[in-house]
Amino acid sequence: MAARRPPVPAEDVEINIMDDDDGNQLRGASGQGYSWEEEYKRSWDVLQEDEQGSLQGAVASIQQQLKRRRLYRDSATVQRGIIRHVYLGIDMSSAMVELDLKPSRLECTLTLAEQFINEYFDQNPLSQLGVVLTRRGVAEKITELSGNPTEHIEAIRKKDNRLPDGEPSLQNLLDLARTSLHHVPSHGSREILVLYGSLTTCDPGNILDTISQLKEDTIRVSMIGLSAEVQICRTICKETNGSYGVVLNEPHYKDLLFENVPPPPLAVAKSNSNLIRMGFPGSKVFEHVALCAW
Amino acid sequence: MPSGTGKTVSLLSLIVAYQQHYPEKRKLIYCSRTVPEIEKALAELRRLMDFRAKQGLKEHFLGIGLTSRRNLCVHPEVGKQRWGEEVDSGCRNLTAPWIREAAKGKAPGEVPLCDFYEALENADTTASMPSGVYTLEDLKAWGRDNGYCPYFLSRRMLAFANVIIYSYHYLLDPKVAEMVSKEMAKDCIVVFDEAHNIDNVCTESLSMDITRPILDASARSVGELARKIDDLKETNQTKLQEEYSRLVSGLRQEQENRAQEEYMANPVLPDDILREAIPGNIRRAEHFVAFLRRFIEYLKTRMRVMHVVAESPTSFLQHVKDLTYIERKPLRFCAERLSSLIKTLELTDLHNFSSLMKIASFATLVATYQKGFLLILEPFESDEATIPNPVLHLTCLDATLAIKPVFERFSSVIITSGTLSPMELYPTLLGFQPVVTESYQMTLTRTCFLPLTITRGSDQVAISSKFEVRNDLAVVRNFGNILLEYAKIVPDGLVCFFPSYLYMESIVASWNDLGMLQDLLKYKLIFIETPDAAETSLALENYRAACDNGRGAVLLSVARGKVSEGVDFDHNYGRAVILFGIPYQYTESRILKARLEYLRDNSKIRENDFLTFDAMRHGAQCVGRVLRGKTDYGLMVFADKRFSRADKRSKLPKWIQAGMTEACLNLSTDMAVAMAKKFLRTMAQPFEHSQLGVSLWDENEIQKREQQAKYDGDRKAAFGVEKREGVVTNLTNGNGPVLMEIVG
Repeated sequence: MAARRPPVPAEDVEINIMDDDDGNQLRGASGQGYSWEEEYKRSWDVLQEDEQGSLQGAVASIQQQLKRRRLYRDSATVQRGIIRHVYLGIDMSSAMVELDLKPSRLECTLTLAEQFINEYFDQNPLSQLGVVLTRRGVAEKITELSGNPTEHIEAIRKKDNRLPDGEPSLQNLLDLARTSLHHVPSHGSREILVLYGSLTTCDPGNILDTISQLKEDTIRVSMIGLSAEVQICRTICKETNGSYGVVLNEPHYKDLLFENVPPPPLAVAKSNSNLIRMGFPGSKVFEHVALCAW
Repeated sequence: MPSGTGKTVSLLSLIVAYQQHYPEKRKLIYCSRTVPEIEKALAELRRLMDFRAKQGLKEHFLGIGLTSRRNLCVHPEVGKQRWGEEVDSGCRNLTAPWIREAAKGKAPGEVPLCDFYEALENADTTASMPSGVYTLEDLKAWGRDNGYCPYFLSRRMLAFANVIIYSYHYLLDPKVAEMVSKEMAKDCIVVFDEAHNIDNVCTESLSMDITRPILDASARSVGELARKIDDLKETNQTKLQEEYSRLVSGLRQEQENRAQEEYMANPVLPDDILREAIPGNIRRAEHFVAFLRRFIEYLKTRMRVMHVVAESPTSFLQHVKDLTYIERKPLRFCAERLSSLIKTLELTDLHNFSSLMKIASFATLVATYQKGFLLILEPFESDEATIPNPVLHLTCLDATLAIKPVFERFSSVIITSGTLSPMELYPTLLGFQPVVTESYQMTLTRTCFLPLTITRGSDQVAISSKFEVRNDLAVVRNFGNILLEYAKIVPDGLVCFFPSYLYMESIVASWNDLGMLQDLLKYKLIFIETPDAAETSLALENYRAACDNGRGAVLLSVARGKVSEGVDFDHNYGRAVILFGIPYQYTESRILKARLEYLRDNSKIRENDFLTFDAMRHGAQCVGRVLRGKTDYGLMVFADKRFSRADKRSKLPKWIQAGMTEACLNLSTDMAVAMAKKFLRTMAQPFEHSQLGVSLWDENEIQKREQQAKYDGDRKAAFGVEKREGVVTNLTNGNGPVLMEIVG
């Protein structure tokens, strides 16, 4: 039986290898990392065997979860505010240098943030967005609230804004976003979405005061933690009716982030501003002669 | 099993159901360890009774807690005192019978009295509380509202209560037990919860340390006593004479003043008190004072010895006799005679006399017990010290002594704890035959804790707190790296335990030299436990604040300190516990050596077994702090290569052992960090709340099981197989202690 196989010529093997590497396989599907790095992706971490060593239970539970999430999303008849004002807060502290998300926490976050911005304006055409960063214990606003996605993406891509350094300050970040959101009209929702990689925050004052101010201003804060559950983040999100999630891996990160794309349900239906005129310039008659610049 | 998983309430509900079902309504005495634990047990009991009421049961039920005056006093001035002794003595100054006697003839306000106590005394003796469960705060509030003293009220209500919850000292420590628990009926059900440390409580309640300052203070007190006696001689000779004749006739003080507060209780167990008249040579007050003076002088001379002495009480007594001609018998009566004298002299400000009382108790103890005790005189604090600071330890080596009366008096005793392992050791240590030994499983909806054993650093150097290597630079650095790495990945609170204060100090100093503390400060604030209780509670408070506001904190503490026993690090207050080294006792301690020797000779427990057992139960206590309930989660890091050995691991509680997989037994720092990271991410995912509030047991299930059990039982009976009784039936029929551990 042991039919002797003819020895494989060395060239063949090489050719095979070449074949594998050929084409656009070098780059991963998402354009990040190389294909030889791909095999170190611990995809088995997502699946857990049950007692009998079968994966059926795990797969079923994942499906169940997806179903539940979809059900949860679909079934509720809620009023959603379609005019949103969102500040995207990004942690730029040295904790973002960690490589536990591929290629790094920072790269992953910024790439996803770009995708998020595009998706956000696709689905919320009437809404506005701004970007704030926190590093070296302070918060910086890199774009003001506006409805132009390219502006934000350019700002994110700027080299200066991609250098993580020092410690983050959650309180400064929230305060800056809060003051920037202060002037927006009451018919739109005010939200802050923070992507937070660090486990600590370096605050100038008591962050609990900030929470109560946020509540006063009816600002909803949602956060996505990149490494573990931090109590203060959970508290902030809970107090302000936001959502808090911790990412398991890159796809999960994307899921969590994109859950914030559709507008969240309104906490209380505001009766006074159900109808808003927009898209038509109002005509106004001036009694005096006025100079018109355009 | 970690607390918060329903240990206390299962035990309470079972016993209360049993108690209420039978007409004799046996009283439940539930002993816990600390005041917060007592409070928690009372709260559980209240919830249980509310539930029973909701189910339509109308019961006359009284559940109360008892604690010291310091925690219960509502007097506007006395209650504000910080120290227990001050409160006690302040209270006595207001409530002593002779003071109240003196106040009778005078205008109100002239002699200060406690209104709350007076109200209680004047009230009808049947004045009682409405039924219900009173936590300590409730008791205070109720007392304040009704103008009754909560402390005396609760003591009075002990006789009527269905459930009493108090500290185990009230049963084990003869000084307190005599006053509080004497009246308890024989059929009480006694539960010792959190009893993993009960043998130490037993030995400590009969042990005593004498130092130079105590001797000096008691010498002063003796002088004071002599002066008082002289005064009394001039003013009221008859009183002393009365006392003398009372002592001659041998009438016992307790019988005479039964209702009154005892001012100084006899330190020995009730069975060992001599039922005889006080011997002649100390009956006269002045003779007794001279006797005390001589004894104190003798102790002072003993203290001057510059080398370590360890001797048995017999040889000590012989030496006393040779030098001072003091016999054993009068020494035995020392405590009793002193309490009688204090009563006769109507002394107030008793806390000035506490040292003298200590000496008298010492005399009584040393003269009463020959076996199981040892006297150790240590002239220096440590081996290096050159300034003498002598301490005379009278140590009880035998834990069975203190607990024996409890087993003898009460028919049902239950010893339980979450970390009572290995269970075989406890019956030997405490000297009893368990009727039922049971270890219960628990269910967790998710693996909410992850025990990791780190045996080597990232550089593959083995780490251990073994004495020979603990100060190696490599070990110190690796320990520091573990802390640093975990500080990076663990959110909020991180608690570290070291084997001793000494080691903690030295290692923290080395970390500082290595610059590791500076790095650590980037991620977390650092708090340290010190032997000072006030300092530690301040540190704890700030630690919690730092965990709450997101800064994150590390608490460095000691495995046998206050933090490791009584403080919970639930949720964000402790996401990880790191145990640096195995928390062995200080093995060079002479007291420990003596105890080990005694255990080897008398209980056939090998030294090493006991040491490991003791170290592991403390280790388990430390890591158990992290998990308080099912929604909580936490990491347990055992950083010592010896933890991976089977003999150490097998002594951990079963629920921790169950969480230890093969994969996490022999890790290096980086591997352990990777596992921890993954665990923390997984645990941060939303908890499936659909599993909460679902009962796995319902009525149908129980009925089905009962039928099954009946069927099985019948079959077994038919085949002549001995039917094994459950815990419940043992409470009724069993005559002896029940040992149980509820573990996973």
